[in-house]
Amino acid sequence: MDRFGIIFRASPRQSDAMIVAGTVTQKMAPVVRRVYDQMPEPRYVIAMGSCACSGGVFKTYHTVQGVDEFLPVDVYVPGCPPRPEALLEGFIQLQQKMMKEEMRWSRWR
Amino acid sequence: MEPLEIANRLKERFPEQVLEVTECRDQVGIIVKKDRIVEMLRWLHDDPSMQLDHLADLCGVDYLGKKDVRFEVVYNLYSIPLRHRIRIRAQVPEDDCQIESVTSIWMGADWHERECFDLFGITFNNHPDMRRVLLPEDWEGYPLRKDYPLDGGGKNWRGYDEVLEKSKRLRKFDFYGQYQDPTKSTGLEEDARK
Repeated sequence: MDRFGIIFRASPRQSDAMIVAGTVTQKMAPVVRRVYDQMPEPRYVIAMGSCACSGGVFKTYHTVQGVDEFLPVDVYVPGCPPRPEALLEGFIQLQQKMMKEEMRWSRWR
Repeated sequence: MEPLEIANRLKERFPEQVLEVTECRDQVGIIVKKDRIVEMLRWLHDDPSMQLDHLADLCGVDYLGKKDVRFEVVYNLYSIPLRHRIRIRAQVPEDDCQIESVTSIWMGADWHERECFDLFGITFNNHPDMRRVLLPEDWEGYPLRKDYPLDGGGKNWRGYDEVLEKSKRLRKFDFYGQYQDPTKSTGLEEDARK
């Protein structure tokens, strides 16, 4: 993915985008939210796979029905599992979205 | 040793404890009372002709509406030196939902028993650390019981409700929450049409 300018970072504090890849349980949700809160702005979220998009087949007592319940998701990549091309397409969509934005900083706090 | 032979030997040794011997597809299960379970399993573990030294799995079963005694704790035993296996099923009634822990025989039963407690609510006496192992510690109810609603009865875990509340509180600081009208096009749809 390096040829599209997408490079992995080891820490949320050095990241621009975050991929939620997999089922998020209610017990794990505070941790995912904390990772998101640690990212510097501007920040983006990609929900990868059916489970992260909507909870998938897991309509149960412990599963989050889509991470958009507690994160602002920018790009949804469906599929169970998504093809590698689908994830790349998701990144390219996100880049196109970034190009169209005029300013993406939240209010000073 | 053949599994049926093991069952008969156990019956000889503990005649009052063994309730029933079941056989299905060459797998033998022995249904026993829970009162002297540690004594029986200790004998199966130590006897030179048994040597069931490996606890392959320990789990719970809920027979709500199917059997008079609601729960069973199942021990799948295997002998590494003698290469035979047997299944022991101990009955646990709902009004006395506890059984003796077997961690004194197989230390590996520790987390299996905690999982069983976590999901079925069967308490294991004399267990070194009887806490929940998978679910959050303040979870209410035992999800693998048959009368537990699949979706949790529409109620979230308290910690998750806190996350939802926090994300709602921070939403006004988000890019979308402040600057962008959600009804306004991002331009991506037009690109897709091209």
